[in-house]
Amino acid sequence: MSILQLDNLSKRYGSTVALRGLSLQVEPGSVYGLLGPNGSGKTTTLGLALGVLRADGGMIRWFGQPMSSQSKRRVGALLETPNFFPYLSARQNLLLAADVKQADPKTVDAALDLAGLTARQKDPFRSFSLGMKQRLALASTLLGTPDVLVLDEPTNGLDPQGIAEVRELIQRLAAQGKTIIIASHLLDEIEKVCTHVAVLQRGELRAAGPVSSILASSDRVVLRVEPELGPSLLHALGQLPWVRDVRPETGGGHSAELTPGHSPAELNRALFASGVVLAGLEVRQRSLEAQFLELTK
Amino acid sequence: MLRAELRKILPYRTVWVILGLYVLLLAGFVSVGGSVTVNGQQFGNTLYSFPELWSRLAYMASYFNLLLGIVLIILITDEFQFRTFRQQVIDGRSVAGLVQGKLAVSGLLAGFGVVGVLAVGLFFGLTRSPETIGRAPETIGAVLLYGIQALGYLSVAGLVGFLLRKGGPAFLGFFLYAWVVEPLLRLTTPDEIDRYFPVKIFDSLTPTPGQELLSTLTGPSTALLPTQAAPLAVFYIGLCWLLSYLLLRSRDL
Repeated sequence: MSILQLDNLSKRYGSTVALRGLSLQVEPGSVYGLLGPNGSGKTTTLGLALGVLRADGGMIRWFGQPMSSQSKRRVGALLETPNFFPYLSARQNLLLAADVKQADPKTVDAALDLAGLTARQKDPFRSFSLGMKQRLALASTLLGTPDVLVLDEPTNGLDPQGIAEVRELIQRLAAQGKTIIIASHLLDEIEKVCTHVAVLQRGELRAAGPVSSILASSDRVVLRVEPELGPSLLHALGQLPWVRDVRPETGGGHSAELTPGHSPAELNRALFASGVVLAGLEVRQRSLEAQFLELTK
Repeated sequence: MLRAELRKILPYRTVWVILGLYVLLLAGFVSVGGSVTVNGQQFGNTLYSFPELWSRLAYMASYFNLLLGIVLIILITDEFQFRTFRQQVIDGRSVAGLVQGKLAVSGLLAGFGVVGVLAVGLFFGLTRSPETIGRAPETIGAVLLYGIQALGYLSVAGLVGFLLRKGGPAFLGFFLYAWVVEPLLRLTTPDEIDRYFPVKIFDSLTPTPGQELLSTLTGPSTALLPTQAAPLAVFYIGLCWLLSYLLLRSRDL
């Protein structure tokens, strides 16, 4: 049973199509990244999944059931900005959140400790820095020990140490078996913490799957030969139908992409059989950034 | 649900300032009322004699429903501004739960108004006209009718708050509807119809003291009697809260 299933989800804002027939499945225990440039539909997707936006079409199921108050209480979520009452203290805000989530008020102390705000628990929320607000929001998502965390740009406003702490927290929670859904435009963030990724562009799904497979599908092989063998290399590569996108590399040599099912070793053998002896072969894993730019071109 | 609403209200200084103002203004107006001179005669302590005191107080308090409405509008529009309605839905509260929460708050505010009127009435009744205290229970129903009226004004304020979502426009909308737009509409509407308008119905619950005397000069009032207006007021209150729910349900948060 999927934790979250979105089926053919659509959303319009006036004449603007924010989401067009999006279908996704988030499996238990995964750290699922929603990746896309600003305005690609990440927050809209999460807003629909969390029931604060009304879908124009499609279906949302949590834990195999239509969304309900019970299913929502199994999910801790931070959407866009930390949403608290500015005149209430950190403690009062968390007690209120615990009431709404029907969580034990005793868990508030642990949440404040986790956010590093125990010393300032009596200060009003409005006096907090952006990073402190973000940490409080993250702590609030953990009230009631939810099975799933939904985090929209969780490292927004945090300093490098805060970012590292959030990453560590996400990895720790994932190791405990929690399912985590993260929306971000920070590729580095997704690459470092996610097991799965979906790439959105202008409200459409461009790619989805395990991070490793999305990266592997676009590995490039860099080939170096003695200068006089350059034309022979290009000719030999042109003869291989499973080699594509041959490009010259800066500093000499060429790089190419292999279609799925073919390995760099196979390429080496094929080139050797054509009389081209390689001086060097390097598999260059494309960064998620390169893949992201390719997908969202 | 009520506990969560109280967690928001109790530490909110603005709410207490406005509620304090409500009591002070009511007590202040009642206090100076005795020195008002009509036809060369001062009201004096007769103003504070039971059983008439309750209906007089209920009528005076009806002018301060604006303050109770402002409190509710602040509490509703704050939730839109701080995006806390959105967060509560994320955290598991239903849209119906959000509206029920504010309905409960309106009940608390109306209750505060009733208690305020009772406290002010008892204070002035006991200090200025103690000999009539025995007759106090006779017309205490007027205070309960005032409570329904306060709930009525609060239901309109709530609807305007949910509709406009921003404090300034919502205050203006509430004030304009209750004190300008509907009274103007009533001027151009036959009396048999305008007495069923919502604010007119709410106002009918606390008739002007000495209405009988006025009627002899201006002709009989077409307004419904308080007991006739009460069920209709309850209907309008229910309608306003239902519309608030439907409005919130049909929109993105």
